[in-house]
Amino acid sequence: MSLTNPSSGAASGPASASARNQTLKRSVQAAFEDPIDRGGNVGYQSKVRVVDKYKVIGFISSGTYGRVYKAVSRQGQPGEFAIKKFKPDKEGEQVQYSGISQSAVREMALCSELSHENVIRLIEIILEDKCIFMVFEYAEHDLLQIIHHHTQQPRHSIPPSTVKSIMFQLLNGCQYLHSNWVLHRDLKPANIMVTSSGQVKIGDLGLARLFYKPLHSLWSGDKVVVTIWYRAPELLLGSRHYTPAIDMWAVGCIFAELLSLRPIFKGEEAKMDKKTVPFQRNQMQKIVDIMGMPTKERWPYLSSMPEYNNLSMLQPPMLHPGHHHHHHHHSKSAASTSHLEKWYYSTIGAHSSTSSPSSNGSLAALGAEGYKLLSGLLEYDPERRLTAAQALQHPFFQATPSGGGIGVTTGCFEGLKVAYPQRRVSQDDNDIRTASLPGTKRSGLPDDSVVRPVKRIKEA
Amino acid sequence: MAANYWESTQRRFWQFSKDELAHMRDELEKSDQALVQMFPLPRRTHLNIYFNQQIGRLGKRLNIKQQAVATAQLYIKRFYCKVEIRRTNPYLVLTTALYLACKMEECPQHIRMFVTEARSLWPDLLHADVSRVGECEFFLISEMNSQLIVHQPYRTLTSLQSDFFLTQDEINLALSVINDHYMTDLPLLYAPHTIALTAILLSLIPRPNNSTNIAVVTAALTQAQQNRPGTGTGTGQNTPGASEKDKQQDTRMNKIQRFAVFLAESTVDIEGMIDCTQELISFYECHEQYNDKIMREQVNRFVKARGLDKH
Repeated sequence: MSLTNPSSGAASGPASASARNQTLKRSVQAAFEDPIDRGGNVGYQSKVRVVDKYKVIGFISSGTYGRVYKAVSRQGQPGEFAIKKFKPDKEGEQVQYSGISQSAVREMALCSELSHENVIRLIEIILEDKCIFMVFEYAEHDLLQIIHHHTQQPRHSIPPSTVKSIMFQLLNGCQYLHSNWVLHRDLKPANIMVTSSGQVKIGDLGLARLFYKPLHSLWSGDKVVVTIWYRAPELLLGSRHYTPAIDMWAVGCIFAELLSLRPIFKGEEAKMDKKTVPFQRNQMQKIVDIMGMPTKERWPYLSSMPEYNNLSMLQPPMLHPGHHHHHHHHSKSAASTSHLEKWYYSTIGAHSSTSSPSSNGSLAALGAEGYKLLSGLLEYDPERRLTAAQALQHPFFQATPSGGGIGVTTGCFEGLKVAYPQRRVSQDDNDIRTASLPGTKRSGLPDDSVVRPVKRIKEA
Repeated sequence: MAANYWESTQRRFWQFSKDELAHMRDELEKSDQALVQMFPLPRRTHLNIYFNQQIGRLGKRLNIKQQAVATAQLYIKRFYCKVEIRRTNPYLVLTTALYLACKMEECPQHIRMFVTEARSLWPDLLHADVSRVGECEFFLISEMNSQLIVHQPYRTLTSLQSDFFLTQDEINLALSVINDHYMTDLPLLYAPHTIALTAILLSLIPRPNNSTNIAVVTAALTQAQQNRPGTGTGTGQNTPGASEKDKQQDTRMNKIQRFAVFLAESTVDIEGMIDCTQELISFYECHEQYNDKIMREQVNRFVKARGLDKH
């Protein structure tokens, strides 16, 4: 479908393509225009109109929440903007006010309050014609797009200085959120924006919430949080009271993905069975395959996890074919052995922790400290997992030989010779009021990245 | 931000001086002069008492925690700084504020529940359609500039209660003072910790609405202010009236002293606390003249006359 592939329009010839573009441009703009008449003198009316202030220049992506558009100001504000339009509950027919979703309320409130260089900046919120428009600063890239760019032939790894800068800025943003009692709960490459100057911005706070003295357990509010591949083991094991450590696990997964260019724990999500939350066996297995089986020694509260008993359903890692099904006592230590170190060194292309860091261009330059940071973030026990503040102090970020001799640059593109391609925006947005798109779609990415799982939130 | 009151939108955008507040309200009334004259309303404090009672009833029916009710009360206050009350249906605003506050305080309930319960409380004053609450929610959020995160004095009380060895009775009294302050302008005038500290101080003296006891409070505050380094020569050890025989009275005085020492060493806005105390006292006095029936009639009159219940 042309929605994710703007180039298909070009096949019909330049002239018709441009004509078609014109119509589509209008339809993008139409998405912001008045769906209903403004009759009646009572009721709520916005003081500002989105179309008066911003000119929409393209469609960026859509998700369950609604759609994101790229826009510029009509009133001389410099720069570009990303406008997130929350879709009303019912699309198509006459739209009714039905109460704003809790997730939109949270995102509006949090974004209005937060202010940090590594968190996406909100410009304003316009409530107009039963729709919510959140206007953000525009970021040219995101980590998903950057990772994807590196998988293109010839596949080439992300430069170590870029990885390091991204990680530092990401942790810096997390530290800010956590010290302000905000849990993000949906960190993943697609939600980490990068500006053209290389500033990392944590985005999409649609699942974020405050965790200061909650009136109810966090679990009772949202049964499922974090996109499956980035979901921490304590969440997979059903923990009711989780902490900022869940974000740190996701940061660890993102770090690994920046190195290997593919999700480190790429499990398959078990579907919600009516109203019960299933045990995510396949995802947990993927973690165990690399991290080994969790043990009470590594994670003292393990046995009090609600889904603890389900761990026995899992296969120990690296099980040889024909191996005995019930592993014996003596093999238990083998089952719990972590293979992360092996994974790390084979990924960065160094053969062991002793090999000396080679040239700065190779990931091997990230050295032993890179492994230590990764394993600190992918620690099973949430209490022992690195906090954002601790991770920022990690020797990995010091320009010492053990840290690969690479200091942290303020922009993650510093010193790079090539620029990343710009975000592709599409003019191909058919009437927003009739379109109903399942899941997450993005403009300008091939299908393979479209099938990435979407975060799911089940509100109580 | 959320953890830091000083950088919060509450401090930056929703804390006013008394003059600013009076000016804003004047401007609102001026812009709707005819309406204001046609529908006289009792003094604001009595309106606040009425709203407090009504939102309390709705909160009780839906089993909503006080923290969310308090947040809703602050939303209502902010909203009516920006919008003339006679232009709105207060019952709709109340219901919507509580609906929104529950989402913000992470104890959401379905919009339908709010409408059903509100309609059973105020049967002929509210439209049955949930979309009215949905629409009013847009209005509220828009007037509040989406600044929905609220800092409340409860947090300070919880974190300081052990420092001052407060008994359960004292904590309860302080809590009720905090609950009551939502019927005054104080949440728009002072930082939540200033209010919490005032509530703690008031909880330490018996019958805080007794004027001689107020003298004790004011004396303690003034002394604490003088004992600050660089202000006056006080030693901080002086006891106002140390001759109590009653042992209970004695511990109480000790608590007040400890509190005064804490204040003297802190940078808390003591002048603000004195003003908070006085505001609360005049609130309690004003409360005695409250007449629920008149109040209800006056509110319902403009709601009905203007047909605000119909949409």
